[in-house]
Amino acid sequence: MTCDLIKNQLDNYVDAQLDVADMQLLDEHTAHCADCQEVLDRERVLRASLKEYGDSSMPQPDVAFFDRALAKAAQSGTKRQRNRWVMTGFGGAMAAALVLWMISGTLLEAPEFAEPTMASIAMVIEEPRTVNLVFSTAIALTDATMTVTLPEGIEVMGFQGQREITWMTSLGEGKNVLPLTLIATSPLGGELLATLRHADDDRSFRVQVEVI
Amino acid sequence: MTSVDQHQRASFDALLRPHLDRLYRFAFRLAGTKPDAEDLFQDVLTKVFARMDDLVELEEPGAWLCRVMYNHFIDGRRRYARQRLVSVSEDQLPEKNLESLPGKLDPVRDAERLDNIMQLQRALDSLSDDHRLVVLLHDSEGYKLSEIQEITGDPVGTIKSRLHRARARLREILAAEGTISGA
Repeated sequence: MTCDLIKNQLDNYVDAQLDVADMQLLDEHTAHCADCQEVLDRERVLRASLKEYGDSSMPQPDVAFFDRALAKAAQSGTKRQRNRWVMTGFGGAMAAALVLWMISGTLLEAPEFAEPTMASIAMVIEEPRTVNLVFSTAIALTDATMTVTLPEGIEVMGFQGQREITWMTSLGEGKNVLPLTLIATSPLGGELLATLRHADDDRSFRVQVEVI
Repeated sequence: MTSVDQHQRASFDALLRPHLDRLYRFAFRLAGTKPDAEDLFQDVLTKVFARMDDLVELEEPGAWLCRVMYNHFIDGRRRYARQRLVSVSEDQLPEKNLESLPGKLDPVRDAERLDNIMQLQRALDSLSDDHRLVVLLHDSEGYKLSEIQEITGDPVGTIKSRLHRARARLREILAAEGTISGA
């Protein structure tokens, strides 16, 4: 009975949200029940890990980032010039400006051609693999749209069950990496298509996925 | 810049600066990547500058700023999607950001800690956005349930239920991987 209480009230017990009588009951029980003590220990390890994760996963902004952000906010707030110049005169320049290629594991040097490479990767069923799609552009692009179309049986981690994923993005001048963690759920494999659109222009990149 | 502009800029700076660290952390918890967090942070500062009149009236601007950021993020969730393109150098490739975890003079234990933290990250990534956000805000960032309620506008009961489910799911995933042991 008290073992069930621990399992059902674990969060409230660890958070000390129970009333005094229940807290005392569970204190006494866990002192003598090895199974519940183990459950409690695991929970405390999880909480400590989450706390540590809070700091270890947090990036530090550049030293002057806050100063720049405040200045830019004040400037933009008064003038409202939101990068509109980037949108002008772009048009057909995209094809010449953009190079797409794929890497897996390491960053390759930029190819000297403007056509996308044909690429392929091999995957093992249920074994996640991160594929880095690298987009190199000579000019910064804003308000671009990225669409990833997946073959049947290949999913992007975090987007389970979705065969097509679309989102807005922007590219900085130079190399931009899109890390896609893929997982194969069937042995079918097929072609993954990544398409970047901006204004009336678009570029596509195809990756042949083989499942072994 | 006119003297009025300069005065407005100085007031903005003085009002915002004490809250920037917390706001930056909140942006990262929402957006999930540093470039997205910085885009979100910048957009919200720009938006808030236009609402200086509201800002100066507030006794607790911190919670209000987080609420503005949360609403802005929800409105433009696709723009700040977790999978956006990022400008990188080679040493910033995925999964390298956690390798700078501070060590404690014990290489084996440090390696175990790093491994556990990376497994925790993958487990967190598998949660829904709502569940991940509430567990990160509460258990990693130390927000109270009432603070999360003030930011998101969701009832405390709903937030508590999400937190409970998120932790339960994390326990399942990490137990299956043998990551969290009682030892």
